[in-house]
Amino acid sequence: MNGFWTRSLAFVLALAVGNVVSFASAHAAPISTAQVAQAVANQDRIALSAVLARPDIQAELVRRGVSVNEANQRVSALTEEEARTLSQQLDSLAAGGVDVLGTILIVFIVLLITDILGFTKVFSFTHPIK
Amino acid sequence: MFDARFPPLSGVLFICALLAGCAAPQSRALRSAPPPLPSAAVEMDHSPFFPQEEFQCGPAALATTLNAAGIGAMPEDLARQVFLPARRGSLQVEMLAAARRHDVLAVTLSPRLDALLAEIANGTPVIVLQNLALDWVPMWHYAVVVGYDLGADQIILRSGRTRRQVMAMPTFERTWARSRYWAMVTVPPGTIPATVGESDYVQAAVAFEKVASATAARRVYSAAVGKWPHNQLALLGLGNTAFSLQDWQAAETAFRKLGDVASDPVPALNNLALTLDAQGQLAQALEVARRAVSLGGQFAAQSRNTLATLVEKAGDDDDRNR
Repeated sequence: MNGFWTRSLAFVLALAVGNVVSFASAHAAPISTAQVAQAVANQDRIALSAVLARPDIQAELVRRGVSVNEANQRVSALTEEEARTLSQQLDSLAAGGVDVLGTILIVFIVLLITDILGFTKVFSFTHPIK
Repeated sequence: MFDARFPPLSGVLFICALLAGCAAPQSRALRSAPPPLPSAAVEMDHSPFFPQEEFQCGPAALATTLNAAGIGAMPEDLARQVFLPARRGSLQVEMLAAARRHDVLAVTLSPRLDALLAEIANGTPVIVLQNLALDWVPMWHYAVVVGYDLGADQIILRSGRTRRQVMAMPTFERTWARSRYWAMVTVPPGTIPATVGESDYVQAAVAFEKVASATAARRVYSAAVGKWPHNQLALLGLGNTAFSLQDWQAAETAFRKLGDVASDPVPALNNLALTLDAQGQLAQALEVARRAVSLGGQFAAQSRNTLATLVEKAGDDDDRNR
């Protein structure tokens, strides 16, 4: 019994002190590929815990109209790196989803000209001049 | 690129700024020195097409490449997985993540027109993120490149509601350059895209393993080890997926190989010890686990835990035999 408690204490201390990213089981387990990949990536920069940020990202997705269940699955499909990107820039990242009709008139005219010049491709009916 | 901080003070200035900033350097380079492509014009006529619903170019583009990879996913299902209602669009990282959820490997390409064309020539459709408008009034849009014609200087896309959109190469480049030439492919597990390098492929494989089935992930790592036999992450992934499929022999082989080449052999040794134990070779497992613990390093906590478990098991066995 004494040995068990010593081992448990040592394990808890190791968890607290060590750079442990995603290891939470008390059983012996293989060291995962993701863990080693993360360790390699962390050599170059400060390790941020995206594990802690995941529930936050999930909540942010729900706030932006994603269902709770789906938000959970979407967040689980992200790598640490991707989760970090999302948590920092959810509103500034490019979101592909064009709607040309939403454009106001002045912008419409500018874009018509740039379309014709071949700098943009907003309208289906424009053909760039050579 | 057009500088977004520079307001259009007058039409002349505006057009000048545009003319100065809207070069299409890669298309120009391509015209003067054509890349070594097997064919000057390619078009995947049979590439599927899903006309886009409102704002849903992400799901539509993804459905196009997933179907080309043999996965019958529909835009409606994919919309739930990538579309962000408040942003009225889909984010790049979620496009990659959603593909993985369908057991298909998603990789971003290097930001080069010749890489894009090489993938097309190889029969892999490519999702691109375009800003169809300008930096200060962005219209982000996902489309799928399915062909090109070097002679006519054209790119062929499945885009929005247009099944076959033909775009002048320089115009395409300008719209694509605004996303910093972001492009991704989705390929079946085991296929290595023509232009994707070792590190990018293996990183994508690690991300894939997280959500895909072990069988599919194993196929991905197996292809990686076939092409890059000394890649440490690929060997570890190959061993780990074999381990989770309880193919102990294959796992042992991979971990032993990794132990020989790894800069930090602790993960290989730790996992080898568990593999040996799973095969009933406890004495050997203990020996390997002790070696792992003796090396310390950043996985020391786990290797100590493995050793402790194995020692305990050995004690139990002794008790039972007594």
